[in-house]
Amino acid sequence: MSLSADFAFTQGSLQDYADCARRFELRFIKRLRYPALETQEPLQFEKRTRQGVRFHKLVQQHLHGVPAEALTASLADDGELAGWWATYLARGLTGLPAARYPEITLQTQLAGRRLVAKYDLLALAPGGAAVIVDWKTGARAPSKAYLSGRMQTVVYRYVLAQAGAHLYAGESIPPERIQMDYVFVAAGGARLSLNYSAAQMGEDEALLSGMIAAIERADAFALTDDVRRCRFCSYRSLCDRGAPGQLEEFDLDEYENEDEEEALSLDFDQIAEIEF
Amino acid sequence: MRAPLDAKVWLEGMAGCGKTTVGLSRVIGLLERGAPADSILIFVPQRSMALPYIAALRGRQAYRGGQVWLQTIGSLSLRMVEMFWFLVAAEAGFKRPRELPNFLSLELVQYFMTRAIEPLVDERDYFASVRIDRPRLYSQIVDNMNKAALVGFPISEIGSRLKAALANGVEQAHIYDDAQTCAMAFREYCLARNLLDFSLQLEVFRDYVWATPQARAYLRGRCKHLIVDGVEEDNPASHLFLSDLLETCESALIIYDRDAGFRRFLGADPASARRLRDSCELKATLDETLVMGAQVTALGAQLAAQLGASVAGEGDVDPRPALIAEAQRYHPEMVDWVARQVDMLVNERDASPNDIVILAPFLSDALRFGLADGLARLGIPVRSHRPSRALRDEPAARTLLTLARLAHPRWALPPTDFDVVFALMTAIKDLDLVRAKLLTEMLYRQGRLLPFSEVRSTAMQARVTFDLGERYDRLASWLNRYLEDERSDAIDIFFRRLFGGLLSRAGFGFYADVDASNTAQNLVDSARGFRWSLDFMRRYEADIDLGLDYVNMVDRGVIANFYLRDWIADAEEGVLIAPAYTFLLNNRPVDYQFWLNIGSEGWSRRLYQPLTHPYVLSRGWTAGRMWTDDDEQHLSRETLGRLLLALTRRCRKAVYLGYSELSESGYEGRGLLLETIQALLRRYARAGQHV
Ligand code: SF4
Repeated sequence: MSLSADFAFTQGSLQDYADCARRFELRFIKRLRYPALETQEPLQFEKRTRQGVRFHKLVQQHLHGVPAEALTASLADDGELAGWWATYLARGLTGLPAARYPEITLQTQLAGRRLVAKYDLLALAPGGAAVIVDWKTGARAPSKAYLSGRMQTVVYRYVLAQAGAHLYAGESIPPERIQMDYVFVAAGGARLSLNYSAAQMGEDEALLSGMIAAIERADAFALTDDVRRCRFCSYRSLCDRGAPGQLEEFDLDEYENEDEEEALSLDFDQIAEIEF
Repeated sequence: MRAPLDAKVWLEGMAGCGKTTVGLSRVIGLLERGAPADSILIFVPQRSMALPYIAALRGRQAYRGGQVWLQTIGSLSLRMVEMFWFLVAAEAGFKRPRELPNFLSLELVQYFMTRAIEPLVDERDYFASVRIDRPRLYSQIVDNMNKAALVGFPISEIGSRLKAALANGVEQAHIYDDAQTCAMAFREYCLARNLLDFSLQLEVFRDYVWATPQARAYLRGRCKHLIVDGVEEDNPASHLFLSDLLETCESALIIYDRDAGFRRFLGADPASARRLRDSCELKATLDETLVMGAQVTALGAQLAAQLGASVAGEGDVDPRPALIAEAQRYHPEMVDWVARQVDMLVNERDASPNDIVILAPFLSDALRFGLADGLARLGIPVRSHRPSRALRDEPAARTLLTLARLAHPRWALPPTDFDVVFALMTAIKDLDLVRAKLLTEMLYRQGRLLPFSEVRSTAMQARVTFDLGERYDRLASWLNRYLEDERSDAIDIFFRRLFGGLLSRAGFGFYADVDASNTAQNLVDSARGFRWSLDFMRRYEADIDLGLDYVNMVDRGVIANFYLRDWIADAEEGVLIAPAYTFLLNNRPVDYQFWLNIGSEGWSRRLYQPLTHPYVLSRGWTAGRMWTDDDEQHLSRETLGRLLLALTRRCRKAVYLGYSELSESGYEGRGLLLETIQALLRRYARAGQHV
């Protein structure tokens, strides 16, 4: 079995491959959904992920013109989220270029495949800076070196350089103008900025096309040797890799579920087919 | 195809003339001309109609930039109401406008409808004379509310409209009054709790969100190029929105199929769609079929003419070579015959399985299974489109639900022996029916599974085998430990714990099983959606046992009754087995069609829906008119005529008719389709005698 013809790579799927080839295979080639618990404290885990989702929605609403006061008034039930929100309002948008595109998806082609990036926010000044903003709601801000190596950083910068021209007055965005900002709203709004360059872009392209080619070629997908990566993986029982990990060791910012969208909107479409 | 890319174009014609191909080339043309992908909105009545667009866009290698938007009125209104909720919630009448909205999936609408109106129905003895089960009754009330929103009249008029056209007696009038009261009660219930069913979501979008400058700026700023396919299948609410958007977009292509409009049930309104024609500066027609051979064209035209439609086309061509039939006595013989014919087409005539569809008005599980099994034995791949999957009937889901009952004795819902046998067989790999029965008989006592060591007879132990006994023990002790620890996990968490902790491990039934795991995931999703909505409800209502309520609702068929996700993951290759209308809305022609059960009334007759009516609640219905038997008959003929035309226009080579004298349920069917085909064949036979 191999990838379906129209499979699109994302930072999430590539990070899965980087972490564990077997996980990539199970999730994207075998399309096996495995509902085992990720952590030993499932409700706590769920609460944190839902808070993160709600925070992203708040920002999106705000950037589409819903007044901040109306949004603030909706947070009476969640002091923690209200704190992140206040941080965002105070510092989240400081210094960003004026043309802002929240929740935007760009795609490009690489090694015969689509490569897709879904951004929290792009802020651009044609001819000037092109800033990618990614909101993080985890309690700790990791190191710059760690973030530089994440597939999110690699994919987001590369795709913007390749596919952002229509947002930049029709000109390709020079890599040197691109900057990726991780903003940690639960850590007082700490901002970690990563610049870009043509040389880095060349390296990233080689890395990404190498990964895609390796995936296309592979006929076996090995289990990771680093069992720490299994702690929060839902396939543990399949791979016989122990019990779920503790939530306090888990970096929630690494957890992104890219395929849970639109379930509701599809839902109504099915009525027609049930009732005919 | 040559229409300028900056014009607003109305394109109409019959199916099979290449209208969607024009739509595709327009999208590609726009992208090639440099239009940003995210300035293009492809708007369809139902997602399946967009599949050709998705395939074309995904296949385009050179395309970089944003993403083309693909929306239905359902997906768009959901997105917009969610985004601009805090601007409109108070004005729209919600009692807690500072709190989040709670959008209801279909199953949750059923659940909340039950909760909101069942006390009323019981107390006042509503619908006593209507003989259908409560879930179906409630779904018709939901349907009435959806129609009001889609067509654009207030829900307070549902009862009076139905009464004026359909009530021929006090009893009937009462039923419509009751339906009205229930709709109002449900609406009040939703407004008080920030719940949005589809009808309310659409009304809030249409009447409030779309009126805000922020929402208008957002959509108008984004949608510069509009492609609408299948506009005749869409509803007046969509048409109103599109006509507004047409004023500001830079270009548009609106595609209209003249002989369609099948989704009446969902408010499809071709006449309302046609009004968009006036907003387009260029009008074009495509009427030359690129699909059908002359005999299939003649077949469609002559069958439709037989039913009273006036259709241009091939009146003097004998369609019989394109119509292959063989009568069988019994239904299974028909199924065998179909499988053999498909085999012949694939293996002797080199037909691709992808170019063959097997259609029936409804597809029972037995029929689907019989066909799939027959074809699989001949080595022919099959794909099946049945989005409405009864999740609770899936073995993996049934097993999880049974094990949940065993682990929660306080619910006082001990599973039956039969359910326990079934659950053991599914949960423990390689455990057969005989051993599962033995284990159940020996060890299932008063709602609990006793340990394997309680089997005293060594002969019995050996018969079960120690290996299976050991795995049985692990399952029993997992459940008993859970019970003794007095855990009270949320039900979805319970399913996940059991799945990850045991059932998905080597030696158990869900291990590396894609179908079982996906079903388990669907059940978890359903139960979690339920919990989230109910968690939210706890602010308003007294405590309830979520797990118990969930299992009860599943039993009653209110939830977990259908689930969509697998539809998307369905196989892409093979002979398609589908309900006829599902095939039509997939927007894809084939070489060969099999029409099964042609004696069935289902080909022409509406479902029995005593509380609702697609025509009386449509925009074109004249107030004060009564719906008569003649109307019903006329409708049957017209519906069948349209359907046959639509099917043949998606068929290149031939139609095979599956007919058995005795139907699946053992009755002799004499439906309108059979009558029409016989009349056609008789006409040719008579003409042959005169030659
Ligand atoms: S459990 Fe470990 S080895 Fe197995 S898929 Fe997950 S990360 Fe890979």
